[in-house]
Amino acid sequence: MFKKNKIMKNLKYIFIINLICSVLFLNSCKNDDDIDIDVEELITTVTYTLTPTSGDAVTLSFSDIDGDGGNDPIITGGTLQANMNYTGALDLKNESETPAESITEEIEEEDLDHQFFFSTDGGLDLTVTYNDEDSQGNPLGLATNLVTGVASTGTLKVILRHKPGKAESGVSTGDITNAGGETDIEVTFDIVVQ
Amino acid sequence: MKRIIFLFLSILFFPKFIFAQDCNITLTGVILDKGTNIPLGYSNIFLENTGEGTVSDEQGFFEIKNICPAEYHVKISHIGCHSEEYFVKIEKDTLLKIYLSHHSELLDEVVIHGSHEDNSTESSQSISRADIASESNKNLSDILENISGVSVLKNGSGISKPVVHGLFGNRVAVLNNGITQTGQQWGNDHAPEIDPFVADHLSVVKGASALAYGGNSLGSVILVETGNIQEDPHLHGEVNYTLQSNGWGHTLNITVEESGKLAAWRLTGTLKRQGDNRTPNYFLTNTGKQENNIALQVEKKIHPKWKTDFYYSLFNTKIGILRGSHIGNLTDLQEAFERSEPFSTEDNFSYNIGSPRQEVTHHLVKVETKYLMDDEKIIKFKYGGQLNNRKEFDIRRGSSSDRPSLNLSLFSHHAEAAYNGLVGEKIFLKAGVQFDMIDNGNVSGTGVLPLIPNYRSYQTSTYWIVQNDQAEEWLFEFGGRFSLKQLRVKRITQTIPKAIEVLDHLFQNYALSSGVRWKKNDFFKANFNIGYLLRAPEVNELYSFGLHQGVSGIEEGNENMGVEKSLKALLSLDFRIQNKLFVQALGYFQNVQDFIYLEPQEEFRLTIRGAFPIFIYKQTDANIAGVDLLLKYEPKQNLNFIAKYALVRGYDLTNNLGLVNIPSDNIFSSMTYTFKNKEKWKNNSFTINGRYVFQQKRITETQDFLLPPNDYFLLGLQIGTNYEWQKSNLKISLRAENLLNSTYRDYLNRLRYFADENGINVSLNLNYQF
Repeated sequence: MFKKNKIMKNLKYIFIINLICSVLFLNSCKNDDDIDIDVEELITTVTYTLTPTSGDAVTLSFSDIDGDGGNDPIITGGTLQANMNYTGALDLKNESETPAESITEEIEEEDLDHQFFFSTDGGLDLTVTYNDEDSQGNPLGLATNLVTGVASTGTLKVILRHKPGKAESGVSTGDITNAGGETDIEVTFDIVVQ
Repeated sequence: MKRIIFLFLSILFFPKFIFAQDCNITLTGVILDKGTNIPLGYSNIFLENTGEGTVSDEQGFFEIKNICPAEYHVKISHIGCHSEEYFVKIEKDTLLKIYLSHHSELLDEVVIHGSHEDNSTESSQSISRADIASESNKNLSDILENISGVSVLKNGSGISKPVVHGLFGNRVAVLNNGITQTGQQWGNDHAPEIDPFVADHLSVVKGASALAYGGNSLGSVILVETGNIQEDPHLHGEVNYTLQSNGWGHTLNITVEESGKLAAWRLTGTLKRQGDNRTPNYFLTNTGKQENNIALQVEKKIHPKWKTDFYYSLFNTKIGILRGSHIGNLTDLQEAFERSEPFSTEDNFSYNIGSPRQEVTHHLVKVETKYLMDDEKIIKFKYGGQLNNRKEFDIRRGSSSDRPSLNLSLFSHHAEAAYNGLVGEKIFLKAGVQFDMIDNGNVSGTGVLPLIPNYRSYQTSTYWIVQNDQAEEWLFEFGGRFSLKQLRVKRITQTIPKAIEVLDHLFQNYALSSGVRWKKNDFFKANFNIGYLLRAPEVNELYSFGLHQGVSGIEEGNENMGVEKSLKALLSLDFRIQNKLFVQALGYFQNVQDFIYLEPQEEFRLTIRGAFPIFIYKQTDANIAGVDLLLKYEPKQNLNFIAKYALVRGYDLTNNLGLVNIPSDNIFSSMTYTFKNKEKWKNNSFTINGRYVFQQKRITETQDFLLPPNDYFLLGLQIGTNYEWQKSNLKISLRAENLLNSTYRDYLNRLRYFADENGINVSLNLNYQF
């Protein structure tokens, strides 16, 4: 049997050794300045501005300034007029930086690698068509036309895919099924058409 | 390859000079099996220099008369074994005791210090050099899978980590040449950064508590042992080349060694190039792999009793990860599950490795000095330093794809002083003090918030193990370990603006173990082990935060967790009947209080990229139990049947669920027939094998995205031969895996969500020894 005081003595030595070693090493290496706290390529804010041929413009927005986790994102839906033509403009920003960085410009520069897709759910009566093209004549989706039908409610989903297969079947007409690629944006807005 | 570990010479003294050439020396010897001690009758013994040779009798004995005093290369071969070559200086009548590995699958991990064999009550199994070489195109973990009770957790065929008795990652220590591997062990998609070619043999110690090997292992330890360099003043080595059809992979390894005047040295270099793997129906785009490894081992005897080793190894790899497995949000995942072939599958084969991919570099430096004191006492000092850099590249916008999303740099130091020796007359003591320091930092410039924070840890440990010395029938063992670990973490806060906070933890861990080995005779051996161990949570378990590709979701640590407390008992029986039937049976039970696991959450996290599944580290109480079985039946020396069976059960006692990532039950069996030697063509063998993996049925829908895949059966074939010249040897083997080109998915492969496993693979292996 080992006596208790012997064990305690051992523990004391270990503690001392650890302390000495820690002190030797503790402040010898890197400092805090090396820690990188900036997040690049972050998209915090999506706004979809819909301007009707007559009446007031509607702005749909999704913003999550602190990025994933932390505070919940703020989502603003909107009310649209029935049987109306709207021109839509999407704008993407990184507002965690000051001044806010425009992601829209980046997407315009890399238009071949991006495409937006629009879909509705819950019986919402509206259709979105592309109103722009990338340098190879395929749709991009920063500029769109939105046409509402009869009064209805539901959701509108906007998806941005990075490196989609633009040549795959149906993709150029806005069908996401065969697009693949990575999802950079997927936001859903509550919409009322009245 | 030549080894002397198992070679004992009876020469104790020899005269400094010899007056006349006295050519009437007699060389006698006995040839035994390394795994079982069975005498190997009808072995061939051949003296290369003179061309003399003989055959051993039924009891393994041989005798060669009238030889002159000289230096000899002795080559020994036996049906069904890989031939071995030894360098011996013969100056008087000499008795050799030579071990060959005829039953290589029954090999224990044997360590010999001086003349004292390192006894242990723990159970172990090994894989020999020849078996490593014949599977040289595989990585470390896949080779270890040949040991019953070892499974492999994968992320495609390029990345795999060993699972022993249901546990993996931080809970299974991997010792590379005596130094605990400190890479980024926390990730399921982070494989151990070791080239299996550096090893003389690989061992898995299936114990209850591995006290001497470091703190975190909840029982099992994997040893990558380099082995000693033979005391042969001539240059020897081997060249190994493997071509595999699936992925058109090439593996080239060259090992050379020499016992020079200044020091003995061994140099090993390995190159691997492999392109996209293929399932039976499509290519797995971006699953290529490259590896460049080099290792240098130097041994110096400063004094007959003072030996110093130096070891350096560099491991460098670039591994592509299936393009279609790069996860998006939940909708994307759902879409990927429903596809018959993954997104972005190309129609053509390619060696290109794009994103996503991993690039890992690992350096290891080890210096060890051993002093053998008069009465078999050994004092040992060891230092091991490691530098690990891991870069992970995702598919990113713009030119950012060339910048890693994860870039971790880990520095570790290990220093140890150990003492082995008798205390009094009957007690053998092994004791040591260890100090470990780890500094793991994120290299700036990724533009992505790090998944795990920068941290530094210091750990001081002491251990002691006592045994009864010269144990014949009964060996008793008792040991303890205590360690103190400090952890300092620098975390980025969630606030705006972001800031850095410093958090400190202090963990006191201890472990106790005891065991008994009953060795009735060479025909029956039983080991029983019981151990209690605490494991401190690792940094990823405490502080992970962010999207983790390896779990296909957002992973969050839990900083309030305490230590895991594990109690494990293990019983193993080894016996044989008439040297024809060999049985190794092992059963274990482990209870872990506060077992740390990743719990999938019911709610999803809404982000601007859509909803993501969340996994949070939680603690529960768990029971893990299992059985490993190995049967070998050898009706004749040239025919054998092997069957292996492994079963593991893991239960979460708090939530009344099965544990995730517990291997499926599996059976492996093989039959090998060795044909008669035809002149210089020896060991002509034919092997057919099959592996059946059951479906894992103890997982419910709430625990995973998809239920575990179906059971599967794989058929394999291997033919091999050996062509011997006087001084060199060429081994040729042709191996086919998944011969039926079956389409299947494996539960422990993360890519099972996205793609099938590899289809048929035929590989040709050439091994030239000189």
